[in-house]
Amino acid sequence: MKKFLYGVLALIAVLFFSSCGYNKMVSLDESVTSQWSQVENVYQRRADLIPNLVNTVKGYAEHEKETLEGVIEARSKATSVNINPENLTPQTLQQFQGAQDGLSSALSRLMVVVERYPDLKANQNFRDLQAQLEGTENRIAVERRKFNETTKQYNTYIRKFPMLLYSGMFGFEKKNYFEAAAGTEKAPEVQF
Amino acid sequence: MKQFIAIIFFLTGSLLNLQAQTIPEPPDPPKLVNDYSNILNANEENNLESYLVAFARETSTQIVVVIIDELETSISDFAFKLGEKWGVGQGEKNNGAVIILKPKKGNERGQVFVATGYGLEHLIPDAIANRDIVDGEMIPHFKKDDYYGGLAAGIQVIMDLASEEYTASEYQERAKKSSGGGSAFFLLFLLFFVIIPLLSGRRRRAYSPGRSLPFWIAMGMMGSNRSSHSGSFGNFSLGGGSFGSGGFGGFGGGSFGGGGAGGSW
Repeated sequence: MKKFLYGVLALIAVLFFSSCGYNKMVSLDESVTSQWSQVENVYQRRADLIPNLVNTVKGYAEHEKETLEGVIEARSKATSVNINPENLTPQTLQQFQGAQDGLSSALSRLMVVVERYPDLKANQNFRDLQAQLEGTENRIAVERRKFNETTKQYNTYIRKFPMLLYSGMFGFEKKNYFEAAAGTEKAPEVQF
Repeated sequence: MKQFIAIIFFLTGSLLNLQAQTIPEPPDPPKLVNDYSNILNANEENNLESYLVAFARETSTQIVVVIIDELETSISDFAFKLGEKWGVGQGEKNNGAVIILKPKKGNERGQVFVATGYGLEHLIPDAIANRDIVDGEMIPHFKKDDYYGGLAAGIQVIMDLASEEYTASEYQERAKKSSGGGSAFFLLFLLFFVIIPLLSGRRRRAYSPGRSLPFWIAMGMMGSNRSSHSGSFGNFSLGGGSFGSGGFGGFGGGSFGGGGAGGSW
């Protein structure tokens, strides 16, 4: 009799989980995780471009040591922050974003400095690198947007009725968005 | 009650947010050349279109050209969102490319951007898109107001690069597969609507003298017509090779991750 009761309970649980959206919460959660790894990928891609870029610029603009060192330092800071996707708390996300934004602003300072070296700007190798860097920044923007969209889907879903009642019970919590970088509204500093 | 109203507002608000972007709807019927600012004449547009359709049929790679006068966001952002929304390229390969052209008008600079889908990024790296396609082929023509020539020259390079991987043989395999699906569908159709009615009709012949038979055969033939037609139009009409997606139009659901390059003149 007891076995029968457990069987019925299990059956109800199966029906309950598949109809209440538990499975959908799991798959939305997974898609946020995989989108996060896409975001990390494109940031990694940018970090990989930098040594080459720095070397090329160095050949033409030796006087810009400070700017170049700033880029290298920001790069090593940015690559040292990696987040396990299971661990996407507001703090870790902010830390990650802070490090990456530091690199963005160091890079944009470098790009401003480069304007003073016409020879460098005419160099085909540099122009290719510039195109790659622009492409990478585009990819970062796209993947961040997709991450926010996926997160929004997930957040909206778990907070809807009736999922709202039990999503917390299973550990589905609201996830954080990428915020626009605090420094992006400011133009990079130019020092003469 | 207040909370309830707040929740309603929140939910409708989030829906509205999602629709705030102004990317044009995919063309219906699906077209690969979309000249919203009418700078190509009918002949040029047809030439480009048939060229691109032939390429899409041969390699399954879809190249979309959009010419537009007004841009609200940056041209690259527009290109990625449009490619994603229209689903340019095949879903599982993401082998689509989008060319956005904003012609030079008065003092405003002309702009062009070539966006590559995820699956084309390694065949057309950003540096190549920038140097060979945009700077090398397109802009020199565009500077002379030769929009057709610039587009054709740029598209030629894209095709040369993209056809390296997605070969004709792959397409033929796909076409075979989809026509195979079509004939299986046709057989099922035949079984259910021709053979079974025929058998049961025989039993009932006493009261209904087989009038339903020609009708069902005609229906069956319509079904076979449809599948052979879609086979010949191939990947362009049925993106992704799935039989049911015909209603969605020509695009296969490809996705864009920010690859590509652009320029202005």
